[in-house]
Amino acid sequence: MSLIDDFLARWHEYRRPGYYEEFDYHWTMTVDLDRCTGCEACVTACQAENNTPIVGEDAIARGRHMQWMRIERYWEGEYPDVKLRAIPMFCQHCDAAPCETVCPVSATYHNQDGLNAQIYNRCIGTRSCAVYCPYEVRYFNYNNHHWDEPLDQQLNPDVSVREKGVMEKCTFCIQRIRQAKDAAKDDGRRRVQDGEVQPACVQTCPTEALVFGDRKDPDSAVSQMLGNERAYTVLEELNTDPSVVYLKKVDADAA
Amino acid sequence: MASNALGLFGGPTAALAAAGKLKGAGFESLDLISPIPLHGVEEVLGKKTSVIKRFTFFGAIIGGLSGFVLAAGTAALYLHPTGGRPIITFPPFLIITYEMTILFGILATVLGFLISARLPVLRERIYVPESAVDKFAVTVACEADEDFKRATEILREAGAEEVSEIAPGGGRR
Amino acid sequence: MQRRHEDIKFADVNNDIVRSLVETGPRYYVTLAIAVLITLACFFFPWFYQLYYGIGAAGMNHPTVWGTYLASFIFWIGLSHSGTLLSCVLHITNSEWRKAMYRSAEAMTLFSLMVAAMMVMVHVGRPWFIHWALPYPNQMELWPNFRSPLMFDVMAITTYLTGSSIFIYMGSIPDFAAVRDRTTGWRHHMYVLLSLGWRGTDTEWHRLGWAYTFLAVLIIPLAVSVHSIVSWDFAMSIVPSLHQTIFAPYFVVGAIYSGTAGIVTVMFVLRKYMNFEHYITKVHFDNLGKLLLALSLIWTYINVVEVFTGWYSNDSAELESLRYKLFGFYAPLYWEMILFCAVAPLLLISKRFRTSFVPMLILSIAINIGMYTERFLIVGTSLSRQYLPDSWGVYVPSLVEISILVGSIAMFCTLFLIFVKIFPSVSIYEVKETLPAPDEGKTQWQATH
Repeated sequence: MSLIDDFLARWHEYRRPGYYEEFDYHWTMTVDLDRCTGCEACVTACQAENNTPIVGEDAIARGRHMQWMRIERYWEGEYPDVKLRAIPMFCQHCDAAPCETVCPVSATYHNQDGLNAQIYNRCIGTRSCAVYCPYEVRYFNYNNHHWDEPLDQQLNPDVSVREKGVMEKCTFCIQRIRQAKDAAKDDGRRRVQDGEVQPACVQTCPTEALVFGDRKDPDSAVSQMLGNERAYTVLEELNTDPSVVYLKKVDADAA
Repeated sequence: MASNALGLFGGPTAALAAAGKLKGAGFESLDLISPIPLHGVEEVLGKKTSVIKRFTFFGAIIGGLSGFVLAAGTAALYLHPTGGRPIITFPPFLIITYEMTILFGILATVLGFLISARLPVLRERIYVPESAVDKFAVTVACEADEDFKRATEILREAGAEEVSEIAPGGGRR
Repeated sequence: MQRRHEDIKFADVNNDIVRSLVETGPRYYVTLAIAVLITLACFFFPWFYQLYYGIGAAGMNHPTVWGTYLASFIFWIGLSHSGTLLSCVLHITNSEWRKAMYRSAEAMTLFSLMVAAMMVMVHVGRPWFIHWALPYPNQMELWPNFRSPLMFDVMAITTYLTGSSIFIYMGSIPDFAAVRDRTTGWRHHMYVLLSLGWRGTDTEWHRLGWAYTFLAVLIIPLAVSVHSIVSWDFAMSIVPSLHQTIFAPYFVVGAIYSGTAGIVTVMFVLRKYMNFEHYITKVHFDNLGKLLLALSLIWTYINVVEVFTGWYSNDSAELESLRYKLFGFYAPLYWEMILFCAVAPLLLISKRFRTSFVPMLILSIAINIGMYTERFLIVGTSLSRQYLPDSWGVYVPSLVEISILVGSIAMFCTLFLIFVKIFPSVSIYEVKETLPAPDEGKTQWQATH
């Protein structure tokens, strides 16, 4: 009967929305659109870091690009008075993620760091998470991919190569977060310090438009950015509670 | 000697009338074998009750409970926090409960049917092949030879097309 | 030699129906062979290719990750919705005209559910792990996620498949017993097992009647829940024009609508090729026609409401989705659907139309083409126009998908062709109930009511 007693004793935990009382870390990224030039260096870095396949011309033409990170490009105004708006778009790691609830096999769930984790091995490929995601940042492996020589030599050993029929998406470079946490533990420290971990895109951004850190640390660079009056989240009205915060681009002439 | 009397009738009205007469004459162990479900058989042979409704009812209740336990219990066994929702959420789990209620209700009904109708048949019983086409048979279990004679007489009087004896084993003589 | 319904004798029913089971002409074998070949060539061959290559063999792409496979899944589930449901409703309301047609209608339910289950296998990316969506104790100690609308589907469809198989089987036990006595060889052995030793005693009939009614009462809410749940796969998302409260009734009505049209098609084929002219009559087509008319009006109403509420919301994403559906890339399909499912069925107002067989057949097929289009549009138009305009796209089915759709229809036909030779496709004992009893001038039913 201990099983039932245990169950009843933990009832209030099971009924707590989101289950976690508090995340261990609350990894957050801010994207300063004022600094973003739309150079796509982050896209390339992401592709190299995460073993994202190069799908080729044909697949791109069929709308099957695999980029965990993409730069959305919008034009504002009429020619010749036209402005380019570049918005880096990647998994928003929503705290109330629609994609997580819909997976029938729990292949995607929320981990203790506030990350939206994707378990490739568990995925059966119903693709319902991609339908439920309003940001369209989940990418499906329509077939097995291969890397031409010598690109196969530069695959990241810390990241798995995904098979056909599996959904994948931005992980906030979880392998780097893991390494930073291990290093902190080896040093006898309890927590990862600000600036010790950077996803590939943040590391690469030449204009430092991307800032990554722990929201729970009030002194971290990312926490400082959150107070900015330009801060907003994409599709805020959907109440997905994203972990990626954008800083609005303010035109000099408009101000 | 115990044996069974069998009367074959061309229609339901005559068969029902014969059964009524036999009932009136004190025969208790009566069977009407017919190609279609007979309406009005309860007025003649008395009201029937079956245990099926109990099976359905309790099956459905057990199904409902086990449905909720399945959903809530497995959610608690391996914690997968998703979408900012609690581990045990009522609206989705009630849907599982609903489906399992119906599933177990259906399965219990089948079980109840098989048990109460004593199917499948494992040993030979009285069977009248004509009754699967267009004949209506009345079978009477008789304890003594006298009873058998009385029963056959009643069946003949009621207009049976054929009256015969069935040995306890099942074969018709 | 058209016999009048009242002139049929009890023995004729047995003869006619046993003949439909054991007398098999070359035409049947040729049809069966063609159906099996098409199933293999158009369903299994492309599917194996897709298993080898990946879902990329289909035309799905980045915004539109769901395609015709899911549309076919909903279509087949929908087609399954009239058989058992209609049979149950008509059974508990004691409807006379149900009795000649319910067996094959229920078979339609069963087989379209099986084909729908196959469509799930075709749809998922890694079907070799599909068992992970079933709740069974395993060494990984992992269980499916019961919070997912897809899991509701798994539970609902399993229950529905179990329920409708049991329902059709239980209703056939007395018929198996009747056929058992008339067959020889392997058929005899099969029917001996299937009939469970049914004798037809008053006790057995009484128990069967009760159990059957209980099953009918349980299956009606089940069938309604199944298609509601299928609609929640879509409605529980936050995709514009899918996230709609009206989706559950919309899907249920659509399912019954398409299923009833399917019954008309099947009835026509049975009547024509199985020589059941005097069992399946104009009365059935007339009644089914009235039902279709009512359903088409409800369906049209819900469609109008869907467009109206979308427009009234004035939400930019919702408006774009609506504009795309009505006037975008797929607009011809949308208006075809309106023509086939909302306009053409108005012909059913005329009794002459309802009682003419060939026009009813054409209309019933047109309705199901329209209903397939509806399901395709639900998936296609909504997913290709979501919130972020950067990831808008167009989805066009590939050859593999079209072939698998054709193959799934052939698979349904194959299953149905096998069914008509094993199950008495018209219920022997229930048809007898509608006939005058041998020693009476009127039917049993008329005598007691």
